[in-house]
Amino acid sequence: MSSLNRALSWLLGGRKPLASHLLLAPATLWLIFLLVIPAGGLIILSFAKNGPYGAIVWEFSLQNYARAFDHKYLPVLFRTLAFAAATTLTCLVAGYPLAYFLTFRAGRWRNALLVGLMVPFWSSCLVAYYSWMIVLGKEGLLNSALIRFGFLSEPIGFLYTPFAILLGLVYFYLPFTVLPLYASLEKVPRSVIEAAYDLGADRWTAFFRVTLPLSLPGVVAGCVLTFIPCLGDFLTVEILGGPRYYLLGNLISNQFMMAQDWPFGSALTTLLLIGLVGGLWLYQAWEKA
Amino acid sequence: MSAKRRGMGIYCASLFGFLYLPLVVMIIFSFNDARRNVVWRGFTLKWYKALFQDAELMSAMLTSLELALAAAGIAAVLGMLASYAMVKHKPFRARGAYDALLNVPLMMPEVALGVGILTFLVRAGYELDFMALASSHALICLPYTVAAVRARLISLQESSLEDAAMDLGATEWQAFVKVTLPLAMPAIISGALLSFTVSFQDFVTSFFVAGIGIVTMPIKIYSMMKFGVTPEINALSVCLLVATFILIGFNAAFAVRPDEGARH
Amino acid sequence: MSEKVTRRGFLKAAVLAPLLPAFLDACRRADDRRVVNFFNWSNYIGKDTLPDFTKRDGIEVRYDLFADEDEMFAKLRAGAKGYDLVVIGDYLIPRFRALNLSDPIPTGALKNINNLSARFRRPEYDPEEGSVPYMWGTTGIAYNKKKLKKPPTSWWDLWDEKYKDRVSMLDNVRDCIGVALLMLKLPATTRDPEHFRKVRELLVKQKPLVKQYSSSSYLNSLVSGEIDLAMTWSGYLFQTARENPDLDYVIPKEGTHLWVDSLTMLRGSRHRADTLRLIDYLLEPEVAAANANSVRYASPNEKALKFVDPVLLKDPRVYPTGAMMKNLRLNAVLDPEQSELWNQTWADVKVA
Repeated sequence: MSSLNRALSWLLGGRKPLASHLLLAPATLWLIFLLVIPAGGLIILSFAKNGPYGAIVWEFSLQNYARAFDHKYLPVLFRTLAFAAATTLTCLVAGYPLAYFLTFRAGRWRNALLVGLMVPFWSSCLVAYYSWMIVLGKEGLLNSALIRFGFLSEPIGFLYTPFAILLGLVYFYLPFTVLPLYASLEKVPRSVIEAAYDLGADRWTAFFRVTLPLSLPGVVAGCVLTFIPCLGDFLTVEILGGPRYYLLGNLISNQFMMAQDWPFGSALTTLLLIGLVGGLWLYQAWEKA
Repeated sequence: MSAKRRGMGIYCASLFGFLYLPLVVMIIFSFNDARRNVVWRGFTLKWYKALFQDAELMSAMLTSLELALAAAGIAAVLGMLASYAMVKHKPFRARGAYDALLNVPLMMPEVALGVGILTFLVRAGYELDFMALASSHALICLPYTVAAVRARLISLQESSLEDAAMDLGATEWQAFVKVTLPLAMPAIISGALLSFTVSFQDFVTSFFVAGIGIVTMPIKIYSMMKFGVTPEINALSVCLLVATFILIGFNAAFAVRPDEGARH
Repeated sequence: MSEKVTRRGFLKAAVLAPLLPAFLDACRRADDRRVVNFFNWSNYIGKDTLPDFTKRDGIEVRYDLFADEDEMFAKLRAGAKGYDLVVIGDYLIPRFRALNLSDPIPTGALKNINNLSARFRRPEYDPEEGSVPYMWGTTGIAYNKKKLKKPPTSWWDLWDEKYKDRVSMLDNVRDCIGVALLMLKLPATTRDPEHFRKVRELLVKQKPLVKQYSSSSYLNSLVSGEIDLAMTWSGYLFQTARENPDLDYVIPKEGTHLWVDSLTMLRGSRHRADTLRLIDYLLEPEVAAANANSVRYASPNEKALKFVDPVLLKDPRVYPTGAMMKNLRLNAVLDPEQSELWNQTWADVKVA
């Protein structure tokens, strides 16, 4: 047994805390330098003031936080939560049967279908959104088809509506819901389901009493992976959404871009992070209890 | 029973239809003889010709591929090591906080993350090179990798196969190489696939962190798209799609099924 | 067996993959050819302009694009280093100076600087005259001749209920607030909060009619029939009209803004001499004319006008006639307080 082998075994055995820390070190390094310090910089910035021409004035103030609770920003928050919730729900309801199918029914096609699920996202989502614009446009494919088959007489402007935003979000986040669902359904032991059948459960009972509860971790993971990025999403609205459906991500990015008010943008970011981390923490506490 | 089964199949097929509809549109309009491809004006191959002559677009594509590969690779290594330590080792202090921290890249609005990283790197005097961008992408990919790999390691832990190997006299390292790693590989691969996708898609962070002359596909497409995508981009996407399918085909033909090992 | 090989291969690939780009990067960095890093709007330079320069002077131009002034500004502000030259709007010049982003161009060193018409050098923006005018144009209304029974004549047409959901506005503080002030007949340099309240009200009132706020993708929407009227910058519309002859441009009767985009040298440029050569090249009459013919904005280069396509030169939409010129306001110079008021008002409109 070489000494290298022994050293690696020591590392992987992890009987000393140092071993865990060493294994975690690369990830920690990344997190510190590319996340903690930059985010810390933004948090510090959120207490600064916006000076002439958007220059940053290093004077401690809480005015950015006070501004964030201005009533004019509340509708943006509610709208964002509503869109994120609607997207998550749609993805979950639409995606669960797909995940189920992939796990239990797809047979030898399963791997192909799993990869197939991801393939559309290897072209740029920008191109996909653009294709949706061609489909949804006033002179687009959907309108032409509906008119051709007599469902419509006048084209409808689908683009730049809440419908288009929801469609874009669902399109983009569906795989992020389905994959965790699949991963957790796959772990449900077949023997347990068969046992339920043996005990006389019909398909639906077996599903609701056994499969669904056992797949709940996947449901939660899928929801988290969809809901959270939705809150910060701004490209979808930028491309498919209209002026009246301004979301939190757009508000924040506009502070950094258009309004050139970085301290305020940082304060909004800080608040969003506090809300999300707090929410996750509460959820974990609840889960443990 | 079989009717129900068929119903589900049809439902899933239509969901795939939904996911692939934009691709079909993209393929069709890559042959469209109009610069702004909203209306069909006849068949042409000129966009493919233009594409292969467009050095900028080709190099943007290469950059994006390299970048996604690098980011997925880094994230896979970091994520595997971290997940292993978190699952197999005794919990250390502040583990909960570390867990939460790992998820923060998901929650940060990308613009804020981009501005934060850019400001920090510039202050630190670090030149915005390819590695800076790849590392930032790896950070965004990390939560996805950890989520995928950790779930697998936990279920392996429960099956205590590694313990069995060690009972048979294997060292930790041997057990890791012979048992854990191969069994975790499907999860690592699926994490890497997700990472690859996330990195390949990323526009906002890239826009900020990309240094001079580093133009990724999304950056290029975004700037072209503001003025209407030329079908050249559709043609490029079609080529990428074909390449992806060929790769997958090769993979299916020569490699093992990713989940075969974990079946038992 | 094959199973093991692929796995090991995959492992190796996973370990080596991160190193490969670093290696490629190192190869790239090894060369120190002469180069200028140029950051510009997309669709804002002739196709052959830069390649011809490289061919002639042997200086490579690395050309990066932005499609949105705010994005460009945010990126440069955050400290993105390495660009030598950038094209910015006149109103940004004082900001760039205030934030120490730019260095004045030593215009004395430029052979061709006197080709420029004097009236486009804007000392009120640029007391050091450290930027070089690149193109100028107007902000007006683009419309689809086929879809509109009668052409729009006034900014108020963009507020007309009958065009609901068929209108797009530029996503830009300068243009929207500026035009609103113009419509309300308020001075552009006002700092009266009451005036800004009125401006906000006017723009918020229009919001239900507006399909999109956009600084570039509206062109696509015009072509595809998604919208029929748009607030636009002159040249972009003329570029688009090459593909869709139904599109036309009008300068509203209330008048509009005349703006000048300028070449600006960024602080910390490492290729100053070559950047100056590029600027000098862009100022050459034939080059400037070919460039203007291609992007269809007006050239501030007086000596270039004789090489400009006569069709463009005679088109009052591109080069407004003397009488029309009286109706055009130059962009006002805003002090920090005023520009904060403009930004704040615009941000409030977007949120409303």
